[in-house]
Amino acid sequence: MATANPTVFLVMVNGQVESAQFPEFDDLYCKYCFVYGQDWAPTSGLEEGISQITSKSADVQHNLVWNFPIDITFKSTNPFGWPQIVISVYGPDVFGNDVVRGYGAVHVPFTPGRHKRTIPMFVPESTSKLQKLTSWFMGRRPEYTDPKLIAQGEGREVTRVRSQGFVTLLLNVVTKDMKKLGYDTSTLDMQTSSVIDMSEGILK
Amino acid sequence: MAEVHVIGQIVGATGFSEDSLFCKWGIHTGGAWKLLSGVREGQTQVDTPQLGSMAYWSHPIDLHFATKGLQGWPRLHLQVWSQDSFGRCQLSGYGFSHVPSSPGIHSLHCVTWRPLGGWREQLARAFVGGGPQLLHSDVVYTGADRYRLHTAAGGTVHLELAVILRNFSRYGVEC
Repeated sequence: MATANPTVFLVMVNGQVESAQFPEFDDLYCKYCFVYGQDWAPTSGLEEGISQITSKSADVQHNLVWNFPIDITFKSTNPFGWPQIVISVYGPDVFGNDVVRGYGAVHVPFTPGRHKRTIPMFVPESTSKLQKLTSWFMGRRPEYTDPKLIAQGEGREVTRVRSQGFVTLLLNVVTKDMKKLGYDTSTLDMQTSSVIDMSEGILK
Repeated sequence: MAEVHVIGQIVGATGFSEDSLFCKWGIHTGGAWKLLSGVREGQTQVDTPQLGSMAYWSHPIDLHFATKGLQGWPRLHLQVWSQDSFGRCQLSGYGFSHVPSSPGIHSLHCVTWRPLGGWREQLARAFVGGGPQLLHSDVVYTGADRYRLHTAAGGTVHLELAVILRNFSRYGVEC
């Protein structure tokens, strides 16, 4: 039902966590969750999910494929606090313990259409060599207490991380009533499908 | 009042000779602009890349401005620093970029530069580290007094910013 004067706009996101590239690790699973500001609320769909465990394929490319579906709709009054999707990847270490292999976050794309995003995954690093050795032994690596911290900018100044992999997401975005509320997200009047690839750093 | 949302990420940096890098960023606007929500400045984490040579920060930026005029369009200024294993920080580059003025998703590649000293400072920087830094960092985003500087190129900082404008067409502004 179209209202004459809408007060909220909707953003619908669907897609998948497609695959990952982690040259040094295998048998990985991922979790996703959404982090958003106070003016946003999910109206339908799942905010979190855990994927299956995947192993590297035997061919040359060594792909880690999840093909894990994402489907969620948000409503909001304000673009501030635009939702971000936070991906955490876990896998077994030498002793069989489940350790974190990477965290990454990206904003849900802002313009309607089809988007491909390859995001870097990083892991917090201990500063002292002794702590690195004990954490390797005990299987308790440094991790974030709440993965939603990845989506925030504040409080990151003193953390040291190591980036060690990439995850590829394919997302489709549909928005409703943003134009009616006066928001311009794109200069094009015609909505053409856009595929943006952010994988500049991988093959250097 | 017209509103501008700047939402995106400082993705990372390439082309710097040092490995463990972090970035201090800030946004400077003119007098007609008012920041409604978001933090105006920040500092990213320190990243040591294992794959390839690009340092990845994925630092989120989410700003909401209200404005009465076009002058003083927001400028994003950056300082890239490297940290060694002892915890000492050394300047690797200064850079700035205007926030794009058209709505949509933009991939920005911000070039950086660092001040060169005399031959003594350059030699000291190669062996011991350190090196000259700017006293007043507003030189990074203004043109005044730049003629005094002799600089060398640093690497490139990559950003993905989306700009959402509101009510600009109501005031007759074409973006």
